[in-house]
Amino acid sequence: MSVSTEWRTHVAGEEGERHELERAWSERGGIAGWFSVTTHQAIGKRYIITAFIFLLLGGIEALLMRLQLARPDNGVLGPEKYNQIFTMHGTTMMFLFAVPMMEGMGVYLVPLMLGTRNVVFPRLNAFGYWMYLAGGLLLYGAAFSNTMPAAGWFSYTPLSGPQYSAGKGVDVWAQMITFTEISAMCVAAELIVTIFRLRAPGMSLARIPLFCWSMLIQSFMVIFAMPAVMLASTVLLLNDRTIGTHFVNPAEGGDPLLYQHIFWFFGHPEVYIIFIPALGMVSSLIEAHARRGVFGYPAVVLSMVANGFIAFGLWVHHMFATGLPQIAEAYFTAASMMIGITSAVQIFCWIATLWTGRLRLSAALHFVFGFIFIFVLGGMTGIMLASIPLDLQVHDTFFVVAHFHYVLIGGALFPLFGAFHHWFPKFTGRMIDERIGKVTFWILFTGFNLTFFPMHVLGLHGMARRIYTYPAEMGWGPANLLATIGAFTIALGGIIFMINVVRSMRAGAPASEDPWEAGTLEWAASSPPQNYNFVHLPVVGARYPLWADAAERAVVTGMRSDRREVLVTSGMEAEPEHRLVLPRSTPWPFLAALGFTIGLVGSVFSFSWYFISAALGAIGLIGWFWPHQPVEIDP
Amino acid sequence: MTPASALDVGRLRPYEISNRAPLWWGQVILCAIEGSMFCILIAIYFYLRLRVDVWPPRGARLPDAAIASWALAPLILSMAGSYMASEAAKKDSRGGMIFGLAANLLLAGVFLVLRYLDWRGLNFNWASDAHGTVVWTILFLHTFDVVADLLMTLVLMIIIASGRYGPKQRLGVHVDSVVWYFLVAIWLPLYAVIVWAPRILGGGQ
Repeated sequence: MSVSTEWRTHVAGEEGERHELERAWSERGGIAGWFSVTTHQAIGKRYIITAFIFLLLGGIEALLMRLQLARPDNGVLGPEKYNQIFTMHGTTMMFLFAVPMMEGMGVYLVPLMLGTRNVVFPRLNAFGYWMYLAGGLLLYGAAFSNTMPAAGWFSYTPLSGPQYSAGKGVDVWAQMITFTEISAMCVAAELIVTIFRLRAPGMSLARIPLFCWSMLIQSFMVIFAMPAVMLASTVLLLNDRTIGTHFVNPAEGGDPLLYQHIFWFFGHPEVYIIFIPALGMVSSLIEAHARRGVFGYPAVVLSMVANGFIAFGLWVHHMFATGLPQIAEAYFTAASMMIGITSAVQIFCWIATLWTGRLRLSAALHFVFGFIFIFVLGGMTGIMLASIPLDLQVHDTFFVVAHFHYVLIGGALFPLFGAFHHWFPKFTGRMIDERIGKVTFWILFTGFNLTFFPMHVLGLHGMARRIYTYPAEMGWGPANLLATIGAFTIALGGIIFMINVVRSMRAGAPASEDPWEAGTLEWAASSPPQNYNFVHLPVVGARYPLWADAAERAVVTGMRSDRREVLVTSGMEAEPEHRLVLPRSTPWPFLAALGFTIGLVGSVFSFSWYFISAALGAIGLIGWFWPHQPVEIDP
Repeated sequence: MTPASALDVGRLRPYEISNRAPLWWGQVILCAIEGSMFCILIAIYFYLRLRVDVWPPRGARLPDAAIASWALAPLILSMAGSYMASEAAKKDSRGGMIFGLAANLLLAGVFLVLRYLDWRGLNFNWASDAHGTVVWTILFLHTFDVVADLLMTLVLMIIIASGRYGPKQRLGVHVDSVVWYFLVAIWLPLYAVIVWAPRILGGGQ
């Protein structure tokens, strides 16, 4: 008998409770119901699917760029179009794909892993999703109306200022940031409180699954980094453009470098905001497929925490070429090299885990191996780039492009694809085809290295990034052609992955609750989980509850199942403190997001729309908070 | 089959109106987000100041120190109102909540009138120069937050006064006080920066 079945069926009178839970947690049907959903599985899936669509859009933009660069003096895209496409590519991948995808995985998995029924602020969760969707629609709605930003994904001033970027493209870009950052902050707030307060009884800090640790650290980084980019894009850039403030206008005492400082104070942590959840995924995957707990759990957790802190002291290494004082630059070189230490600690812990585990060479584990290989290479070039003399030589060349694709695709996309293969049975209730999964991996791995390895060489030979073409005499043609072939290989891998997903969802073998015999609580829920996740909340006595002795297993009783109750536990030891009734599903978060959206889209044209945004948003929030009748006076 | 053991939580309360409530934690995080934003604004203020020789520019009339300082009195006192309301929320005293929230709103209203007088006296605006830009931005964002929180406080007071409220709304009153303490506390450094920093520290480089 599998462990989890035992966990789910050993309390008398369960059928009645299950029935009540199903009623209490069911969502209304119809269109109004669809806009009212607040269960974390549904919102998480919406994040994941939406972000995947943006990945495809960003991928198409990448292919267009590679087509243009495939041979010298090519004419597929003109210079203006090329600028727009690389701006859209970077913006889409950073703001509309990578961060929301990680948030979506967290929203879906964290409550399951903690042994609770939902995130602690379900309406905020829904609100965050709608804001994200609105931001994405704003950027692409404008793009399809032929209004595209063309100043790069970080929109440096003065290039992005009113003088050099006429039109509304940059304004739309700046306000899209506001939407996605609000969304990320909503998820961060609810995940921090969920992880600290809704853990299963007994899940002390030292028993939190590593993916939850990674989301916790990532969420704290969001809290402190995202306000910076909202200031940079909305206050510094947009207000300078629309109402004539002088933050970045040197003629009136402003400074364009100020924009770079504020942007990168967010922008560097942003990389870790994307990549730390991926580290958590890697740890989870390795544990499940090496069939043992991670080697050096405290070291892995502390390294991730240290990564989170150090990430805030690195931003100037993006600005080595701006002529800052050398003493400051030296500090940032040292800090940038330091991040290599904490990353290496984790790599060694994973190697030790793999070495001593009983490996199951699944598709997911293939992606983990791919991650280690690619990410270590990207880390190496990162340490090279931390050195100022080398950075000055290759600054803004394809060497840098190669470096950050190695760390971002290697560090985030490969773990993510591994995670898709690993949690697919939990998401869908069916097994994904392992054989095709491995084929996908080899195609993606080959395609990736074919695309980005030649870029190192191109950068060293002086090919600057963001140029739309190059003359044949430079000799860059062959390497560029190779990179383009690689890009289309990646696209092929993506298509095979999607075919595999569709095929497996239709005809894959039905998945049991715990097909990998993994140790964490999400595998104790059914596949896919019910809206309430667990009939009885588990009580945890070990770091890997499903691997613990049956004698140590216990469940929570005494919760009311006729309403949406969760159990609040203490922050450190997770001792039960009180019960909490979560709010019902409602369309108000959607309506509030709609109100803010109308105003914020208007603010691209005129500042006064902020007041309309505030008024409409306030109406939405009041509706959201208004007591539901009849009020539970004495629950 | 009987459970190895069962942890009965049936006797635990189904709500909590104190700093142990998850919503209280959520409000603290909201304050952390706002706080980081204002800290970065202070950094921007001094960054811009270091770039020029004369700060503020000659002829710029700074916020009036007397009005701005007197305005602190009703502002700080208003925290007593929200404290009373939050304590009354724990005890479920409807009258106490209404009194506390009303005191909070009234004193905050006095503060806003004084701020309006002070603000009206400025002879520069956001588009005058970098100093005008950053001072107006700080004033605008803080005022915006204050007005937004007061609006929510007003809505809470109406709900409590209507009598149709439960523990969730009482918890709302309790955590509303956290945001108000934060908005008062964050104003003290902002006030020091825009009112006193140019007077005490003088010009730029």
